[in-house]
Amino acid sequence: MTTELRSRFHQELEALEAEVIELGLLAAESVRLAVDALVRRDAGQIQRVIEGDDEIDRLYMDVERRILDLLATQNPVASDLRLISALMHINLHLERVGDQAVNISKMALATADLPPDESILVRLQEMGDIVVRMMRTAIDAFSRRDLELCQKLPVMDDPVDDLNRGMYRQVVQLAGDPARLEWGIRMNVVARQLERVGDNAVDIGEQVAFLLTGQFREFTDASHPDA
Amino acid sequence: MKGVEVSDLSAWFGINQALLDVNVSAQPEAVTAIIGPSGCGKSTLVRCMNRMHEEVRGARVRGKVLFNGQDIYAPDVDPVEVRRRIGMVFQKANPFPTMSIMDNAVAGLKLVGGFSRQELQERGEQALLAAGLWDEVKDRQHDPGGRLSGGQQQRLCIARALAVEPEVLLMDEPASALDPASTLRIEELIDDLKKEYTVIIVTHNMQQAARVADWTLFLLSGHVVEYGPTERIFTNPSDKRTEDYVTGRFG
Repeated sequence: MTTELRSRFHQELEALEAEVIELGLLAAESVRLAVDALVRRDAGQIQRVIEGDDEIDRLYMDVERRILDLLATQNPVASDLRLISALMHINLHLERVGDQAVNISKMALATADLPPDESILVRLQEMGDIVVRMMRTAIDAFSRRDLELCQKLPVMDDPVDDLNRGMYRQVVQLAGDPARLEWGIRMNVVARQLERVGDNAVDIGEQVAFLLTGQFREFTDASHPDA
Repeated sequence: MKGVEVSDLSAWFGINQALLDVNVSAQPEAVTAIIGPSGCGKSTLVRCMNRMHEEVRGARVRGKVLFNGQDIYAPDVDPVEVRRRIGMVFQKANPFPTMSIMDNAVAGLKLVGGFSRQELQERGEQALLAAGLWDEVKDRQHDPGGRLSGGQQQRLCIARALAVEPEVLLMDEPASALDPASTLRIEELIDDLKKEYTVIIVTHNMQQAARVADWTLFLLSGHVVEYGPTERIFTNPSDKRTEDYVTGRFG
Protein backbone atom coordinates (compact mmCIF):
# COMPACT_ATOMS: atom_id res chain seq x y z
CA MET A 1 0.00 0.00 0.00
CA THR A 2 2.52 2.62 1.16
CA THR A 3 5.48 0.51 0.19
CA GLU A 4 6.66 2.35 -2.89
CA LEU A 5 6.31 5.88 -1.50
CA ARG A 6 7.82 4.77 1.78
CA SER A 7 10.77 3.04 0.14
CA ARG A 8 11.41 6.21 -1.85
CA PHE A 9 11.50 8.02 1.49
CA HIS A 10 14.04 5.56 2.83
CA GLN A 11 16.11 5.89 -0.34
CA GLU A 12 16.10 9.66 0.10
CA LEU A 13 17.25 9.22 3.70
CA GLU A 14 20.14 7.06 2.51
CA ALA A 15 21.04 9.60 -0.17
CA LEU A 16 21.01 12.40 2.42
CA GLU A 17 23.25 10.40 4.71
CA ALA A 18 25.72 9.84 1.85
CA GLU A 19 25.69 13.57 1.12
CA VAL A 20 26.31 14.48 4.76
CA ILE A 21 29.22 12.04 4.88
CA GLU A 22 30.64 13.62 1.74
CA LEU A 23 30.19 17.05 3.32
CA GLY A 24 31.96 15.79 6.45
CA LEU A 25 34.99 14.57 4.56
CA LEU A 26 35.07 17.82 2.60
CA ALA A 27 34.92 19.94 5.78
CA ALA A 28 37.68 17.86 7.42
CA GLU A 29 39.85 18.23 4.31
CA SER A 30 39.20 21.95 4.28
CA VAL A 31 40.55 22.26 7.84
CA ARG A 32 43.58 20.14 6.94
CA LEU A 33 44.36 22.28 3.89
CA ALA A 34 43.83 25.52 5.84
CA VAL A 35 46.32 24.56 8.56
CA ASP A 36 48.79 23.22 6.00
CA ALA A 37 48.56 26.42 3.94
CA LEU A 38 48.98 28.55 7.08
CA VAL A 39 52.10 26.67 8.18
CA ARG A 40 53.67 26.60 4.70
CA ARG A 41 52.47 30.15 3.86
CA ASP A 42 50.97 28.97 0.61
CA ALA A 43 48.80 31.89 -0.59
CA GLY A 44 47.30 29.93 -3.49
CA GLN A 45 46.14 27.12 -1.24
CA ILE A 46 44.72 29.60 1.28
CA GLN A 47 42.62 31.09 -1.51
CA ARG A 48 41.45 27.67 -2.63
CA VAL A 49 40.23 26.84 0.88
CA ILE A 50 38.19 30.06 1.01
CA GLU A 51 36.70 29.42 -2.42
CA GLY A 52 36.08 25.76 -1.59
CA ASP A 53 33.70 26.78 1.17
CA ASP A 54 31.07 27.61 -1.47
CA GLU A 55 30.73 23.91 -2.20
CA ILE A 56 30.40 23.13 1.53
CA ASP A 57 27.68 25.77 1.84
CA ARG A 58 25.90 24.43 -1.24
CA LEU A 59 25.81 20.90 0.18
CA TYR A 60 24.69 22.24 3.55
CA MET A 61 21.78 24.15 2.00
CA ASP A 62 20.82 21.22 -0.18
CA VAL A 63 20.70 18.81 2.78
CA GLU A 64 18.75 21.32 4.88
CA ARG A 65 16.15 21.84 2.14
CA ARG A 66 15.70 18.13 1.50
CA ILE A 67 15.37 17.39 5.21
CA LEU A 68 12.62 20.01 5.52
CA ASP A 69 10.83 18.36 2.59
CA LEU A 70 10.95 15.00 4.36
CA LEU A 71 9.73 16.49 7.64
CA ALA A 72 6.86 18.19 5.85
CA THR A 73 5.75 15.22 3.82
CA GLN A 74 6.83 11.97 5.46
CA ASN A 75 6.05 12.17 9.18
CA PRO A 76 9.27 10.41 10.13
CA VAL A 77 9.20 8.47 13.40
CA ALA A 78 11.41 6.18 15.48
CA SER A 79 14.88 5.52 13.98
CA ASP A 80 13.95 7.53 10.87
CA LEU A 81 13.15 10.50 13.08
CA ARG A 82 16.37 10.10 15.04
CA LEU A 83 18.37 9.84 11.81
CA ILE A 84 16.76 12.99 10.42
CA SER A 85 17.34 14.88 13.65
CA ALA A 86 20.97 13.70 13.71
CA LEU A 87 21.46 14.62 10.05
CA MET A 88 20.13 18.13 10.67
CA HIS A 89 22.49 18.71 13.57
CA ILE A 90 25.51 17.10 11.93
CA ASN A 91 24.87 19.11 8.78
CA LEU A 92 24.96 22.34 10.77
CA HIS A 93 28.12 21.33 12.65
CA LEU A 94 29.84 20.55 9.34
CA GLU A 95 28.88 23.89 7.84
CA ARG A 96 30.44 25.57 10.88
CA VAL A 97 33.62 23.51 10.53
CA GLY A 98 33.78 24.74 6.94
CA ASP A 99 33.51 28.32 8.24
CA GLN A 100 36.22 27.64 10.80
CA ALA A 101 38.55 26.53 7.99
CA VAL A 102 37.74 29.81 6.22
CA ASN A 103 38.45 31.80 9.40
CA ILE A 104 41.83 30.09 9.73
CA SER A 105 42.57 30.93 6.11
CA LYS A 106 41.64 34.56 6.61
CA MET A 107 44.01 34.74 9.57
CA ALA A 108 46.71 33.26 7.33
CA LEU A 109 46.04 35.96 4.72
CA ALA A 110 46.08 38.72 7.32
CA THR A 111 49.47 37.58 8.68
CA ALA A 112 51.19 36.86 5.36
CA ASP A 113 53.68 39.72 5.88
CA LEU A 114 54.26 39.25 9.61
CA PRO A 115 57.14 37.27 11.15
CA PRO A 116 56.00 33.83 12.40
CA ASP A 117 57.10 31.86 15.46
CA GLU A 118 58.18 28.33 14.72
CA SER A 119 57.10 26.76 18.03
CA ILE A 120 53.60 28.23 17.73
CA LEU A 121 53.33 26.85 14.20
CA VAL A 122 54.32 23.42 15.51
CA ARG A 123 51.59 23.71 18.16
CA LEU A 124 48.96 24.72 15.58
CA GLN A 125 50.01 21.91 13.25
CA GLU A 126 49.61 19.44 16.11
CA MET A 127 46.17 20.80 16.97
CA GLY A 128 45.20 20.68 13.31
CA ASP A 129 46.33 17.07 12.94
CA ILE A 130 44.27 16.00 15.97
CA VAL A 131 41.06 17.83 15.04
CA VAL A 132 41.18 16.59 11.44
CA ARG A 133 41.56 13.07 12.81
CA MET A 134 38.63 13.75 15.16
CA MET A 135 36.45 14.95 12.29
CA ARG A 136 37.23 11.84 10.28
CA THR A 137 36.58 9.67 13.33
CA ALA A 138 33.20 11.33 13.90
CA ILE A 139 32.17 10.82 10.28
CA ASP A 140 33.46 7.27 10.34
CA ALA A 141 31.52 6.55 13.56
CA PHE A 142 28.40 7.93 11.86
CA SER A 143 28.72 5.90 8.69
CA ARG A 144 29.57 2.72 10.61
CA ARG A 145 27.05 3.37 13.44
CA ASP A 146 29.89 2.80 15.91
CA LEU A 147 29.01 3.90 19.45
CA GLU A 148 32.41 3.00 20.90
CA LEU A 149 34.15 5.13 18.32
CA CYS A 150 31.91 8.12 19.21
CA GLN A 151 32.87 7.79 22.82
CA LYS A 152 36.58 8.13 21.96
CA LEU A 153 36.01 11.67 20.69
CA PRO A 154 35.97 13.50 24.04
CA VAL A 155 39.23 11.73 24.97
CA MET A 156 40.79 12.78 21.66
CA ASP A 157 39.61 16.33 22.37
CA ASP A 158 41.46 16.69 25.71
CA PRO A 159 44.92 17.43 24.23
CA VAL A 160 43.32 19.95 21.85
CA ASP A 161 41.92 21.88 24.79
CA ASP A 162 45.32 21.71 26.55
CA LEU A 163 47.16 22.94 23.45
CA ASN A 164 44.66 25.78 23.04
CA ARG A 165 45.04 26.88 26.65
CA GLY A 166 48.85 26.85 26.33
CA MET A 167 48.71 29.21 23.35
CA TYR A 168 48.13 32.27 25.47
CA ARG A 169 51.39 31.93 27.38
CA GLN A 170 53.33 31.37 24.20
CA VAL A 171 51.84 34.45 22.56
CA VAL A 172 52.60 36.61 25.60
CA GLN A 173 56.27 35.76 25.17
CA LEU A 174 56.20 37.59 21.84
CA ALA A 175 55.28 40.88 23.57
CA GLY A 176 58.73 42.42 22.98
CA ASP A 177 58.24 42.61 19.21
CA PRO A 178 55.02 44.34 18.00
CA ALA A 179 55.01 42.60 14.59
CA ARG A 180 55.57 39.16 16.09
CA LEU A 181 52.99 39.92 18.81
CA GLU A 182 50.39 40.87 16.19
CA TRP A 183 51.11 37.61 14.37
CA GLY A 184 50.80 35.71 17.64
CA ILE A 185 47.46 37.30 18.57
CA ARG A 186 46.05 36.26 15.19
CA MET A 187 47.42 32.74 15.72
CA ASN A 188 45.60 32.66 19.05
CA VAL A 189 42.40 33.08 17.02
CA VAL A 190 43.48 30.20 14.79
CA ALA A 191 44.00 27.99 17.86
CA ARG A 192 40.56 28.96 19.08
CA GLN A 193 39.06 27.98 15.69
CA LEU A 194 40.81 24.61 15.82
CA GLU A 195 39.55 24.05 19.32
CA ARG A 196 36.01 24.74 18.03
CA VAL A 197 36.51 22.19 15.23
CA GLY A 198 37.32 19.62 17.92
CA ASP A 199 34.15 20.59 19.83
CA ASN A 200 32.10 20.19 16.67
CA ALA A 201 33.54 16.71 16.17
CA VAL A 202 32.56 15.79 19.76
CA ASP A 203 29.05 17.18 19.15
CA ILE A 204 28.73 15.10 15.98
CA GLY A 205 29.68 12.07 18.07
CA GLU A 206 26.89 12.96 20.52
CA GLN A 207 24.40 13.05 17.67
CA VAL A 208 25.57 9.65 16.46
CA ALA A 209 25.22 8.26 19.99
CA PHE A 210 21.68 9.67 20.12
CA LEU A 211 20.88 8.06 16.79
CA LEU A 212 22.09 4.71 18.09
CA THR A 213 20.71 4.75 21.63
CA GLY A 214 17.73 7.12 21.54
CA GLN A 215 19.24 8.81 24.61
CA PHE A 216 20.62 12.29 24.22
CA ARG A 217 23.38 13.35 26.55
CA GLU A 218 26.37 15.60 26.23
CA PHE A 219 29.70 13.78 26.40
CA THR A 220 31.18 16.79 28.12
CA ASP A 221 29.50 19.74 29.72
CA ALA A 222 31.52 22.95 29.76
CA SER A 223 29.41 24.45 32.55
CA HIS A 224 29.85 21.40 34.80
CA PRO A 225 33.30 20.12 33.85
CA ASP A 226 33.56 17.68 36.77
CA ALA A 227 30.04 16.23 36.56
CA MET B 1 -6.99 -0.79 40.06
CA LYS B 2 -9.21 1.58 38.10
CA GLY B 3 -9.21 1.48 34.34
CA VAL B 4 -9.25 -1.69 32.29
CA GLU B 5 -6.83 -4.52 32.86
CA VAL B 6 -6.71 -7.30 30.31
CA SER B 7 -4.95 -10.47 31.39
CA ASP B 8 -4.07 -13.54 29.32
CA LEU B 9 -6.91 -12.76 26.95
CA SER B 10 -7.39 -14.97 23.90
CA ALA B 11 -10.26 -14.66 21.43
CA TRP B 12 -11.50 -16.76 18.55
CA PHE B 13 -13.83 -16.52 15.60
CA GLY B 14 -14.78 -20.17 15.20
CA ILE B 15 -11.46 -21.98 14.85
CA ASN B 16 -9.51 -18.84 13.96
CA GLN B 17 -7.67 -17.34 16.89
CA ALA B 18 -7.69 -13.53 16.76
CA LEU B 19 -5.96 -12.73 20.07
CA LEU B 20 -3.26 -14.72 21.84
CA ASP B 21 -2.71 -14.20 25.55
CA VAL B 22 -2.97 -10.43 25.47
CA ASN B 23 -1.96 -8.53 28.59
CA VAL B 24 -2.48 -4.80 28.86
CA SER B 25 -3.53 -2.23 31.46
CA ALA B 26 -5.34 0.83 30.13
CA GLN B 27 -4.71 3.59 32.64
CA PRO B 28 -7.63 5.66 33.90
CA GLU B 29 -7.83 9.29 32.83
CA ALA B 30 -5.49 8.60 29.95
CA VAL B 31 -5.77 7.70 26.30
CA THR B 32 -4.46 4.34 25.16
CA ALA B 33 -4.08 3.81 21.42
CA ILE B 34 -4.05 0.39 19.81
CA ILE B 35 -2.16 0.29 16.53
CA GLY B 36 -1.27 -2.50 14.15
CA PRO B 37 -1.85 -3.68 10.58
CA SER B 38 -5.28 -4.74 9.34
CA GLY B 39 -6.40 -8.04 10.81
CA CYS B 40 -4.02 -7.87 13.78
CA GLY B 41 -6.87 -8.04 16.29
CA LYS B 42 -7.25 -4.36 17.27
CA SER B 43 -11.03 -4.24 16.92
CA THR B 44 -11.42 -7.67 18.47
CA LEU B 45 -9.43 -6.52 21.49
CA VAL B 46 -11.62 -3.47 22.15
CA ARG B 47 -14.76 -5.52 21.45
CA CYS B 48 -13.62 -7.97 24.13
CA MET B 49 -13.32 -5.06 26.55
CA ASN B 50 -17.08 -4.54 26.67
CA ARG B 51 -18.28 -8.03 25.76
CA MET B 52 -19.29 -7.13 22.23
CA HIS B 53 -17.08 -9.85 20.76
CA GLU B 54 -19.35 -12.63 22.04
CA GLU B 55 -22.23 -11.19 20.00
CA VAL B 56 -20.60 -12.59 16.85
CA ARG B 57 -21.70 -16.14 15.98
CA GLY B 58 -19.06 -18.69 16.92
CA ALA B 59 -16.95 -16.12 18.77
CA ARG B 60 -15.20 -17.18 21.95
CA VAL B 61 -13.12 -15.51 24.66
CA ARG B 62 -10.74 -16.90 27.27
CA GLY B 63 -8.94 -14.91 29.92
CA LYS B 64 -9.85 -11.94 32.07
CA VAL B 65 -10.85 -8.33 31.55
CA LEU B 66 -10.82 -6.54 34.88
CA PHE B 67 -12.80 -3.33 35.10
CA ASN B 68 -12.27 -1.49 38.36
CA GLY B 69 -10.87 -4.75 39.65
CA GLN B 70 -13.87 -6.89 38.69
CA ASP B 71 -13.79 -9.48 35.90
CA ILE B 72 -16.42 -8.50 33.34
CA TYR B 73 -16.55 -12.13 32.18
CA ALA B 74 -17.51 -13.44 35.63
CA PRO B 75 -20.72 -15.53 35.46
CA ASP B 76 -22.87 -13.14 37.49
CA VAL B 77 -22.02 -10.08 35.40
CA ASP B 78 -24.70 -8.63 33.11
CA PRO B 79 -23.16 -7.81 29.70
CA VAL B 80 -25.67 -4.98 29.16
CA GLU B 81 -24.50 -3.29 32.35
CA VAL B 82 -20.88 -3.79 31.21
CA ARG B 83 -21.65 -2.03 27.92
CA ARG B 84 -23.31 0.86 29.74
CA ARG B 85 -20.24 1.45 31.84
CA ILE B 86 -17.80 0.74 29.03
CA GLY B 87 -19.20 2.65 26.06
CA MET B 88 -18.23 2.31 22.45
CA VAL B 89 -17.99 4.56 19.40
CA PHE B 90 -17.60 3.00 15.96
CA GLN B 91 -15.75 3.88 12.79
CA LYS B 92 -18.87 4.82 10.88
CA ALA B 93 -21.12 7.28 12.64
CA ASN B 94 -24.38 5.44 13.20
CA PRO B 95 -27.00 7.85 14.53
CA PHE B 96 -30.64 6.91 14.08
CA PRO B 97 -31.16 9.00 10.93
CA THR B 98 -34.81 9.96 11.38
CA MET B 99 -34.67 10.37 15.14
CA SER B 100 -34.06 13.95 16.34
CA ILE B 101 -30.62 15.07 17.47
CA MET B 102 -31.77 15.23 21.08
CA ASP B 103 -33.51 11.85 20.92
CA ASN B 104 -30.35 10.37 19.46
CA ALA B 105 -28.29 11.77 22.33
CA VAL B 106 -30.58 10.21 24.94
CA ALA B 107 -31.39 6.98 23.06
CA GLY B 108 -29.31 4.92 25.49
CA LEU B 109 -30.92 6.54 28.51
CA LYS B 110 -34.39 5.76 27.15
CA LEU B 111 -33.39 2.12 26.87
CA VAL B 112 -32.27 2.11 30.49
CA GLY B 113 -35.59 3.81 31.35
CA GLY B 114 -36.83 5.60 34.45
CA PHE B 115 -35.97 9.19 33.46
CA SER B 116 -38.46 12.07 33.35
CA ARG B 117 -38.65 14.27 30.24
CA GLN B 118 -36.78 16.99 32.05
CA GLU B 119 -34.04 14.64 33.22
CA LEU B 120 -33.65 13.34 29.68
CA GLN B 121 -33.38 16.91 28.33
CA GLU B 122 -30.79 17.87 30.97
CA ARG B 123 -28.64 14.80 30.50
CA GLY B 124 -28.95 15.09 26.72
CA GLU B 125 -27.68 18.67 26.88
CA GLN B 126 -24.79 17.68 29.13
CA ALA B 127 -23.83 14.85 26.79
CA LEU B 128 -23.98 17.10 23.71
CA LEU B 129 -21.92 19.67 25.58
CA ALA B 130 -19.33 17.06 26.59
CA ALA B 131 -19.17 15.86 22.99
CA GLY B 132 -18.49 19.42 21.82
CA LEU B 133 -21.67 19.51 19.74
CA TRP B 134 -24.10 21.55 21.85
CA ASP B 135 -23.23 24.99 20.48
CA GLU B 136 -23.75 23.77 16.92
CA VAL B 137 -27.10 22.06 17.50
CA LYS B 138 -28.81 23.82 20.41
CA ASP B 139 -31.09 25.76 18.04
CA ARG B 140 -32.05 22.71 16.03
CA GLN B 141 -32.05 19.85 18.50
CA HIS B 142 -35.30 18.55 17.06
CA ASP B 143 -33.92 18.20 13.53
CA PRO B 144 -33.21 14.64 12.39
CA GLY B 145 -29.75 13.35 13.32
CA GLY B 146 -29.22 12.34 9.70
CA ARG B 147 -29.02 16.01 8.66
CA LEU B 148 -25.79 16.62 10.50
CA SER B 149 -22.41 16.50 8.74
CA GLY B 150 -20.28 13.38 9.07
CA GLY B 151 -18.12 14.91 11.79
CA GLN B 152 -21.15 16.15 13.71
CA GLN B 153 -22.83 12.74 13.40
CA GLN B 154 -19.75 11.14 14.93
CA ARG B 155 -19.81 13.61 17.82
CA LEU B 156 -23.51 12.86 18.20
CA CYS B 157 -22.62 9.19 18.60
CA ILE B 158 -20.01 10.16 21.18
CA ALA B 159 -22.72 12.18 22.99
CA ARG B 160 -25.01 9.14 22.89
CA ALA B 161 -22.24 7.03 24.41
CA LEU B 162 -21.53 9.65 27.08
CA ALA B 163 -25.18 10.20 28.05
CA VAL B 164 -25.36 6.89 29.90
CA GLU B 165 -22.38 8.04 31.98
CA PRO B 166 -19.84 5.36 31.19
CA GLU B 167 -16.44 5.24 32.84
CA VAL B 168 -14.58 3.93 29.84
CA LEU B 169 -14.94 4.95 26.21
CA LEU B 170 -13.81 2.53 23.52
CA MET B 171 -13.35 4.14 20.12
CA ASP B 172 -12.85 2.00 17.04
CA GLU B 173 -11.35 4.21 14.33
CA PRO B 174 -13.62 7.11 15.30
CA ALA B 175 -12.17 9.56 12.78
CA SER B 176 -11.15 7.42 9.84
CA ALA B 177 -14.18 8.44 7.75
CA LEU B 178 -13.86 12.15 8.55
CA ASP B 179 -12.18 15.10 6.82
CA PRO B 180 -9.09 16.68 8.48
CA ALA B 181 -11.00 19.47 10.26
CA SER B 182 -13.58 17.06 11.73
CA THR B 183 -10.75 14.68 12.64
CA LEU B 184 -9.02 17.48 14.52
CA ARG B 185 -12.25 18.24 16.43
CA ILE B 186 -12.60 14.59 17.42
CA GLU B 187 -8.96 14.48 18.52
CA GLU B 188 -9.42 17.61 20.62
CA LEU B 189 -12.52 16.05 22.10
CA ILE B 190 -10.61 12.88 22.97
CA ASP B 191 -7.97 14.98 24.70
CA ASP B 192 -10.73 16.65 26.68
CA LEU B 193 -12.57 13.41 27.51
CA LYS B 194 -9.55 11.79 29.09
CA LYS B 195 -9.87 14.15 32.05
CA GLU B 196 -12.91 12.14 33.11
CA TYR B 197 -12.82 8.89 31.19
CA THR B 198 -10.50 6.06 30.40
CA VAL B 199 -10.24 6.28 26.62
CA ILE B 200 -9.08 3.41 24.42
CA ILE B 201 -8.82 4.15 20.73
CA VAL B 202 -8.14 1.87 17.80
CA THR B 203 -6.52 3.75 14.95
CA HIS B 204 -4.87 3.07 11.63
CA ASN B 205 -3.50 6.57 11.62
CA MET B 206 -0.22 6.52 13.45
CA GLN B 207 0.07 10.28 13.59
CA GLN B 208 -3.29 10.29 15.29
CA ALA B 209 -2.04 7.81 17.89
CA ALA B 210 1.07 9.96 18.34
CA ARG B 211 -1.05 13.09 18.80
CA VAL B 212 -3.77 11.86 21.15
CA ALA B 213 -2.51 8.86 23.07
CA ASP B 214 -0.55 8.76 26.31
CA TRP B 215 0.06 5.04 25.89
CA THR B 216 0.39 3.03 22.71
CA LEU B 217 -0.04 -0.69 22.20
CA PHE B 218 1.32 -2.32 19.06
CA LEU B 219 -0.53 -5.48 18.14
CA LEU B 220 0.65 -7.92 15.48
CA SER B 221 -1.12 -11.16 14.53
CA GLY B 222 -3.03 -11.13 17.81
CA HIS B 223 0.11 -10.69 19.93
CA VAL B 224 1.15 -7.65 21.94
CA VAL B 225 4.53 -6.72 20.49
CA GLU B 226 5.09 -3.61 22.53
CA TYR B 227 3.19 -1.41 24.96
CA GLY B 228 4.59 1.80 26.38
CA PRO B 229 4.45 5.58 26.57
CA THR B 230 3.48 6.92 23.13
CA GLU B 231 6.51 9.19 22.95
CA ARG B 232 8.84 6.24 23.35
CA ILE B 233 7.00 4.07 20.81
CA PHE B 234 7.40 6.81 18.20
CA THR B 235 10.94 7.92 18.96
CA ASN B 236 12.71 4.87 20.27
CA PRO B 237 10.68 1.65 20.19
CA SER B 238 12.40 -1.34 21.77
CA ASP B 239 11.14 -4.01 19.38
CA LYS B 240 12.40 -4.21 15.80
CA ARG B 241 8.88 -5.10 14.58
CA THR B 242 7.43 -1.95 16.15
CA GLU B 243 10.24 0.05 14.57
CA ASP B 244 9.51 -1.46 11.15
CA TYR B 245 5.78 -0.89 11.47
CA VAL B 246 5.82 2.72 12.66
CA THR B 247 8.45 3.72 10.11
CA GLY B 248 6.37 2.19 7.34
CA ARG B 249 8.78 -0.62 6.49
CA PHE B 250 5.84 -3.01 6.48
CA GLY B 251 2.08 -2.95 6.93
